[in-house]
This record gives sequence, C-alpha cells and structure tokens, in this order.
Amino acid sequence: MSNVMKIENLNYSHNLVKILNDVNLKVESGKIIGLLGENGAGKTTLMRLITGNAHGTGAIEVSGTFQAKDRKAHVSFTDHLNGFPAGMKIGKIVDFYRTVYDDFDDKRCDDLMKFLNLDKTMKVSALSKGNKEKLIIALTLSRQVELYLLDEPFSGIDSMSRKKIINSIIQWKPEHATILVSDHYVSEIAPILDEIIVIKNETIACQKQTDEIRENKGMSVENFYESLYDEGGNNND
Amino acid sequence: MEFDDKIPIYYQIKNYLYHQIVTGELDPGEKLPAVRQLAVDVTANVNTVQRALTEMINEQIIEPQRGKGNFVTIDVDKIKQLKDKLVKEQLTIAYQELHDLQLSDNEILEELRKFMKNRGVENE
Repeated sequence: MSNVMKIENLNYSHNLVKILNDVNLKVESGKIIGLLGENGAGKTTLMRLITGNAHGTGAIEVSGTFQAKDRKAHVSFTDHLNGFPAGMKIGKIVDFYRTVYDDFDDKRCDDLMKFLNLDKTMKVSALSKGNKEKLIIALTLSRQVELYLLDEPFSGIDSMSRKKIINSIIQWKPEHATILVSDHYVSEIAPILDEIIVIKNETIACQKQTDEIRENKGMSVENFYESLYDEGGNNND
Repeated sequence: MEFDDKIPIYYQIKNYLYHQIVTGELDPGEKLPAVRQLAVDVTANVNTVQRALTEMINEQIIEPQRGKGNFVTIDVDKIKQLKDKLVKEQLTIAYQELHDLQLSDNEILEELRKFMKNRGVENE
C-alpha cells in the first residue's frame, strides 16, 4: 500500500522550547489513524506543521508534494471557525469554503449536513458545542482530498453527537483517503481505528495496528496506550 | 454493536455475522450488505470489515460474486459445520473452566443437568 504522507527529521521549537524532536513518520493511504498523546504533547502542532500553518525544519511530503502551499491542496484540516463572525449563518460559511477550495463537493456537503441535522440558516453563534463540532466535521469532509486531519473532534461533546460524528467519518471517508484523528482519550474511537500513533516526549513513541495490539498482546487499545506512560514513569525512577 | 476492545475487531465482526448465518437471520444464498453499509451498521472501519469478510470467504462461508457483492453459501452442510464449530468453541470454554474447578466429567454432566432443570423452573 502506498504512503499518503512521509515525514523525515522534523523538528519544531516555539519560543526556544522544543515541541517536536526528530519526528519520522510514514502514513499509508486508506486508513483511519488515531493520533494520541497527553494535552500539550504536540498533536495539534504536528497537524499545523503538516498543513503548513506552522514551520519547522525537516521534510513533510503529502501526496508527492513538499512545499507548504502545494501540500494544502491535498490536506483538509478542521478549522475551528474562529475567523468567522459569530452571527454568520452556516450557509455563508459553506459559500466561503466553496469559493476558497476547488475540491469542495456540494453534494457531499449537502449529504453530510442532512445526516448531521444541520440547517444552513442556523447562525454559528446559536450552535451547541456538539452541533459546532458537527459543522466543522461536515465542512472538513466536504473537501475531496487524500488526507484529512481532525483535531480532537470529540472533546467536550455528548455521546449522541460523538456517535453521529463517528458514523459520518465511516460513511464519508473516501476509500483511498486517510483520516488522522487526534484525541487524548482513546476508548471512544478505538473500534474505528486501523492504527494508533502516540506522541510522547516530543516525538513518535509508537505506531501500531490496533488489531495487532488486541491479537498479540491481548490488551485493549486503551490499556496499551496507558501502559506507555507506566513504562515512562519507571524509566524516570 | 458493542465491541470488547481486548479482542480483535475483525474477529468480533466475523463471529457476529457467523451467528446471523447459523441462526438463520441471514439465509443461505442471501446477499450481505455492502462493505461500507456493514461498517456503518456495526460502527467499525471499512478495512476491518473487509478483513472479516476476507476470512469468511477463505473459510467458504460466504462467496463473492464479481460486481454483485458477497452472498451466504448455499451449501447447507458448510453452515451445519460452522454451527458445530461454534458450539464446540463454547463447550470447550465451559468444559475447561469447569475442569479447572476440579469437577470430573460425571460431575460436570450432573451440574449441567441440575442447571438446566433449575433454569427451566426459573423461566416458567
């Protein structure tokens, strides 16, 4: 299977503080991958480096492109909509996305909005936390790209919204596209993940197939993830 | 579908579908839902569902038809064998557990009889 993304020797510091140190990573096409790590581990930073919203040293290749401006055409990232006026209607934001992104698919967008019970006449300021996350997911998945980056789409939302979002991910992921979804809590999404990538101590601590963890170690993905932190504690003693 | 996260998901999906076939919820010759629909139905990843189906094809319980999808085998002997296999798996677990409790074969039979009798009373 071919790689949708390859990262080599990626380093990133902010205000002289090292955030990511010598990150090397290969991500295959057609997968759903959990990007895990504690709060502040660098998950969002890694996503921002991939989209080119942050700049480090090293090489990031997405679908054969290396330059940040070229990569953007192949990556769809969850924008938290902070740039839009609070009183703006959903329909206007959809228009904006359609204008900015050539790969924006109206049919996908309409289907996703319908599935997630979103109404284009609703104002962003009137949306609940769950509905706002649903809107972000709908907009992100409406683009037709090879790599989707979903940054903690489940944080602070109710279980019904979570299930809806999980189902929309399963239903609308293009067959050969890869979805990278970050979370600091794995059990809620473990059944839909092909792989997990864990960021710890400023770098990739592990990349593993979820069913391999279950099959070879007889462990739940959550227990395996937590065990990485137990070992870390012992090493520091 | 509720998954046990300690057991490979593809294996649980396979068992779920095998149960449907053995109990007749899926008839011999019946078409299975499309892979993505199955993935949505059980809330799992398309790749994981595909892996479960591939194993079912290898075990000859379902048959792929080009461009049409996957169908339950019409060979009822195969379904009978599958049922025997599932029954044996459950019996093996129960037998082993009871054996570990130091019960002899006769005691296991006696306990099972008692259990089924009392269970019958409770259910009435």
